[in-house]
Amino acid sequence: MTLDFSIFVEYGPHLLMGFWLTIKIVIAAIILGMPWGLVLALGRRSRFLIPRLAATSFVEIFRNTPFIIQVFLFYYVLPFYGIRFPAEYVGTLALAAFGSAYFAEIIRGGIDAVSKGQLESARAIGMSDWQAMKNIVLPQTLSIILPPLTNQTLSLIKESAILSTITVHELTMSGMRVQGEIFRPFEVFIMVALLYWGLNETIAILMRKLEKWSKKGRTSNQDSAETLKKEDVVR
Amino acid sequence: MKFDLSYTIDALPRLLEGATVTVQVALLAFAFSITLGTIIVLTRTTLNWRILNGIIAIYISFIRGTPLMIQIFLVYYVLPVTGLNLGAFTSGILAITLNSAAFVSEILRGGLTSVPKGQFEAAKSLGVSGFALWGRVILPQTFIASIPPLVNEFTQVLKATALLSIITVVELLRVSQQIYSSNYHPVEILSGAFIIYFLLCFFVSRGSVMLENHWRVRRA
Repeated sequence: MTLDFSIFVEYGPHLLMGFWLTIKIVIAAIILGMPWGLVLALGRRSRFLIPRLAATSFVEIFRNTPFIIQVFLFYYVLPFYGIRFPAEYVGTLALAAFGSAYFAEIIRGGIDAVSKGQLESARAIGMSDWQAMKNIVLPQTLSIILPPLTNQTLSLIKESAILSTITVHELTMSGMRVQGEIFRPFEVFIMVALLYWGLNETIAILMRKLEKWSKKGRTSNQDSAETLKKEDVVR
Repeated sequence: MKFDLSYTIDALPRLLEGATVTVQVALLAFAFSITLGTIIVLTRTTLNWRILNGIIAIYISFIRGTPLMIQIFLVYYVLPVTGLNLGAFTSGILAITLNSAAFVSEILRGGLTSVPKGQFEAAKSLGVSGFALWGRVILPQTFIASIPPLVNEFTQVLKATALLSIITVVELLRVSQQIYSSNYHPVEILSGAFIIYFLLCFFVSRGSVMLENHWRVRRA
């Protein structure tokens, strides 16, 4: 077997078009899935039984089944009830639903990590539940959940490959098309893998920088808070 | 159209047959990946060769950075080109093993850091080294500390086996595809498979608590 990477002069643009669709789908899935994940997370912490039960079962069902069968179900169930979308939309919707279950767990974990006294003191000074959540708890949650959110985004990029099974023409699908034409599996799939890998590594590096930067702000705040305390003691 | 439960019930025996294959594949792949993951962790910590560590780091980064589906294609389509014809079942297990071993080795590395340094020192001062040190003292503690993430990883493997349907391994998802391509009732059949997957994963993840308690009792 001889390697021949010159094929990408001809087929490279085809792969890049698929790559671009992958990126678009993942961004759309995050935009749809993140707010829905927040709703689910707040639902799971609700005082009332029905939203709590509904949110919990949604999260557990989507977390405990393979993504590929969720995709198939979306693909077949929506037309079953007379709703017809192009495959790209169905795939994005499935990816958003899948992602939202994980986003919900991450956000819930972040809310739990903020100390309970914060919520209680916000309530004590007369804020409503929602005001306390919005102004006090959620902003503090953000820097805690940044690393797991990054991981989940990377995981969504990888899971989006599965959308090729319902004929969404994203990166994996274009790879399979090219492979079907030229029968060079190694070159094609390695190139596809490198594109995914490169995208993931780039995002991981950028987010690590962002994390460091956000932590820097935080520790310096804490430091100044501590120096304030020390000054108090001295005084 | 209406949801007709009788199709799900008719398909149930075949679906359960498919589910046994799914469980078999998952157990085999997970057993291999635990072995490989342990070997990776041991070479990383005991040999500590720079070149080997570099290769392992690239391998783990590659596995974590690319979709499992592409990894399955790489194993399934590329190995035959090099003259190694494994068949769908074996190459599927190989692909999932290679994928999962990367995650298992990261889990075990985390578990290893939770073993106190005093354990190494105490064992050494008693003259315990080599196989006895790792096999009898360090690794058991590493594994017990890693039970929750390992169980989680097993559910990941269980879910990953569904992808093998693409390369014609006849497991649960493939069986349901075969059924609904002949009677054209995908919603009923897929729902059945969906529920089976859910029950499998749900009870495995709940089993983690039981496992933990079991080992805690034995240790006390």
